[in-house]
Amino acid sequence: MIEIDGVSQVFQTSARQDHLALSNISLTIEDGAFVSILGPSGCGKSTLLYIVGGFVRPTAGVASMKGRAITGPGPDRGPVFQEFALFPWKSVLGNVMYGPRQQGIKRPDAEAQSRALIEMVGLKGFEDFYPKELSGGMKQRVALARTLAYHPEVLLMDEPFGALDAHTRTRLQNDLLNIWERDRKTVLFVTHSVEEAVFLSDKVVMMTRSPGRVREIIDIDLPRPRHRTELLLDPRYQKYIVEIERMFDDSGDDELR
Amino acid sequence: MLRRAAPLLVCLGLLVVWQLASLVLKSDSFPTALEAIRAIPVVLGDKDSLVNFAASLRRMAIGFAVGVAISIPLGLSMGRSRAVASLFNPLLMVIYPVPKAALMPIIMLWLGVGDISKTLVIFLGVSLPVIYHSFEGARAVEEKMLWSGAAMGLSSTQRLVRIVLPAALPEILTGCRTGLVLALITMITSEMIARQSGAGNILFNALDMGQYDTVFAMIIIVGAMGIVLDALFERLRARLVRWSEPQFDIPLSFS
Repeated sequence: MIEIDGVSQVFQTSARQDHLALSNISLTIEDGAFVSILGPSGCGKSTLLYIVGGFVRPTAGVASMKGRAITGPGPDRGPVFQEFALFPWKSVLGNVMYGPRQQGIKRPDAEAQSRALIEMVGLKGFEDFYPKELSGGMKQRVALARTLAYHPEVLLMDEPFGALDAHTRTRLQNDLLNIWERDRKTVLFVTHSVEEAVFLSDKVVMMTRSPGRVREIIDIDLPRPRHRTELLLDPRYQKYIVEIERMFDDSGDDELR
Repeated sequence: MLRRAAPLLVCLGLLVVWQLASLVLKSDSFPTALEAIRAIPVVLGDKDSLVNFAASLRRMAIGFAVGVAISIPLGLSMGRSRAVASLFNPLLMVIYPVPKAALMPIIMLWLGVGDISKTLVIFLGVSLPVIYHSFEGARAVEEKMLWSGAAMGLSSTQRLVRIVLPAALPEILTGCRTGLVLALITMITSEMIARQSGAGNILFNALDMGQYDTVFAMIIIVGAMGIVLDALFERLRARLVRWSEPQFDIPLSFS
């Protein structure tokens, strides 16, 4: 269980002014839940994810995992970034093996596990390719495999499909759900796409425009495993999307008022 | 085919222009290309000058190796740590614009005219471009890449060695390539100032004695040395950073 308790984040802008990015966020994420954080760009949703990852220290409040305060990054929380952040000097296999090798797993074992993971994310045959030789979608598959390889308890996904074209994006969403169905890790997924959040999640946390606050938490009560074609015809699915889109429009107006 | 032969054709063309120009000018201090080329085996066949060359190359190798060994970690640390950067930046800003050969008189005064002074000047010449490029390379490393490493459990030192270093390697090697050429330049100039041994010493002795064919032969030899060293280094560089995006379609070297 991840608990975020009264977390605020203040950044210094280049003009040396304080900018409040997150304001007093409290949130509980149950084990095994797929939770999306949804909000307009600049609402601090990624920052919230980085705080859980331990990459950013909150200005106020505490984030904790299993009752222990998060003070830094660790292999129990595996990030997947929009920018992929692969190691360009390593092959696909080298990237995926990096975590297991770091954890002291012997080369043959690490390699066998990594090859299996690469096959699972659909990249069999690309083991010896370098990241520069891959498309964006393939890079993100490698990044996912690389993170899964060190068995984090929680996946922290920071707009992972944001840089991909619509078609690739849908395919990766489907594949992510299929992979997730196998062991149902806790996933914290940041996105600004309403459709993506509803399709993937058990729970959608809607944030307000800057400074980011929790505006609403919506439970997505849709059956799993989910299939896009079935869901698209499901009135409940459509209702969730419309409902959240409307809230989105409201929060967009905040700035103008 | 043409691309492979182009450097050779250029060299040949230059020699022809040289030959013609010296035939027209008919000056004692301007030997023909053929005379200069004929002097090359004489210089290289002389045991004394070979000892000089060996001494030069040894100093250059030591200056370059020590320079790179110190500059890469320093540049990378500066690129990743504001504290280290602000500590060393003023010092480097002062040293940077000073021609290293201009420091030679002071260094000679303190350390004599021997190996140590010359190697030190080479070291200084190599260090700055390598520090600068390592610094820039380290600064450009994606934050998220380091975070990914941190999540896998790499300590900050491990991240510097195992993420920042390889990620910045293309940039570092660009600095090393500049450093290598600067090492050759400072090697010759240091020997011209502290004339005791080395290739620069042969060159200037020949000039003093009016052996102009030897002077020009030496210029060709030193130039060829630079080209060969650069080409070899470029090969090594290309091997090491095969994984990085190609920057030029036309390689800027003779390798």
